Amino acid sequence: MNAVLSWFQEQSADLKTAFYMNFIKDDRWIYLWSGLKITLQIAFFAVLIGILLGFLVAVIRSTHDKVGNLRFLNFICKMYLTIIRGTPMVVQLLIIYFVILSSCTDKVFVAVIAFGINSGAYVAEIIRSGIMSVDKGQMEAGRSLGLSYLQTMIYIILPQAFKNVLPALGNEFIVLIKETSVSGYIALQDLTKAGDIIRSQTYDAFLPLIAVA
Amino acid sequence: MNKHFSSASSPEENGGIIFKAEHIIKEFPNLRALDDVSTEIKRGEVVFIVGPSGSGKSTFLRCLNLLEKPTDGKIFFEGKQINCRGIKINAFRQKVGMVFQHFNLFPHLTILNNIILAPLKTHRMKRAEAVSKAEELLKRIGLYEKRNAYPQQLSGGQKQRIAIVRALLMNPDVILFDEPTSALDPEMVGEVLALMKELALGGMTMIVVTHEIGFAREVADRILFMDHGRIVEEGSPEDFFSHPKDPRLKDFLSKVI
Ligand SMILES: Nc1ncnc2c1ncn2[C@@H]1O[C@H](COP(=O)(O)OP(=O)(O)OP(=O)(O)O)[C@@H](O)[C@H]1O
Ligand SMILES: [Mg+2]
Repeated sequence: MNAVLSWFQEQSADLKTAFYMNFIKDDRWIYLWSGLKITLQIAFFAVLIGILLGFLVAVIRSTHDKVGNLRFLNFICKMYLTIIRGTPMVVQLLIIYFVILSSCTDKVFVAVIAFGINSGAYVAEIIRSGIMSVDKGQMEAGRSLGLSYLQTMIYIILPQAFKNVLPALGNEFIVLIKETSVSGYIALQDLTKAGDIIRSQTYDAFLPLIAVA
Repeated sequence: MNKHFSSASSPEENGGIIFKAEHIIKEFPNLRALDDVSTEIKRGEVVFIVGPSGSGKSTFLRCLNLLEKPTDGKIFFEGKQINCRGIKINAFRQKVGMVFQHFNLFPHLTILNNIILAPLKTHRMKRAEAVSKAEELLKRIGLYEKRNAYPQQLSGGQKQRIAIVRALLMNPDVILFDEPTSALDPEMVGEVLALMKELALGGMTMIVVTHEIGFAREVADRILFMDHGRIVEEGSPEDFFSHPKDPRLKDFLSKVI
């Protein structure tokens, strides 16, 4: 019994020193803190862009499905969805950083754009499923009152669709926070990168990674 | 009261005919739902459409406000053809109210906002005017207290009466009803029919698809009987019930009365 207890004490003492070494000494927790801020910043603005893009693409796609016009825009949207969903995020980020926005030096901005474009593709499909989940009588009621297709979409369908998919959108936000981990590839110090830095200074991989997660 | 519910009058350069359908055909992928339907609806007329299930009643009604596009034939509204290119379909629909079997109130909006949404967004009224007219109508049907409630807090009969008021506030020239009481519990049918009768007596032009034969007999100026996508027989309630000619109508009446 005593042996077990002392073992625990020993372990926890170890843990304490490890914790101290990893996070407290040299104010290393600062890395994590500013990393967290950047991660949340990127995720937040990326989700905003994602929702905007998502709404746009979803409305174009559903309009095409229901009314049959907008063929060209629908084609572009389909390309966008296929490309974004068919390639890894890292590749997209690198392409946007090194090719498309290579003149831009603000890495956070690049990351926001890249993640925004990426999440837009997923949000679009979420919102499209939300639009389809709204009873078709709602569109008919709006149109029969003399509202245009777009007005009915904006004032009647989308608010209901949005409410229906709110949990899925929250989910997407969390996924996005995790995905920002790849922004280290453009040398941006987000949370994951901060963990890396601590690890390279202390040669202890486990604790920083747990903290990052 | 009556004045408020009656159809807006405009110069009668087309003999007071609101709707004219000429040889309407509507085909679905493997079915002809309307097969050469022609009729006229005059201003102030209350026309009922009855017939067995699947006979094309709803399809015809929905063709009239172009929720369905006729495959062939012409539809005229107040003298102008509407199923052709270059028609301002939204402006046209603002004059044609529709009441659905399942109410189709907007669940995310309060009762008041359900009613004033379309008049505001189509710029037919300023907000203050829309609100005061909506409240006046709500008081009239005894649902003023519910103005800030949401549709799911209302009974079926209340929802349908709100749907009727929502159509009314656009001040339409005609209102289409597609089985307005079919989704209601029996004890709530009466309140909706009472409101419809009030509209009819007030001079509103109405086209009503219904299975309430007794109500049709009481309120209709004219009844159309449809079967297999055709208008098989039509006439005043008198003729319709006392001297049905077509055997299919006789058969239908013997089943529903
Ligand atoms: N969107 C559609 N696609 C394919 N077939 C349809 C569609 N809408 C209606 N139909 C068919 O057209 C026929 C006429 O339908 P409609 O709804 O007009 O009948 P109804 O007289 O209103 O019947 P009910 O009394 O049951 O409402 C039916 O056979 C129906 O199955
Ligand atoms: Mg029907």
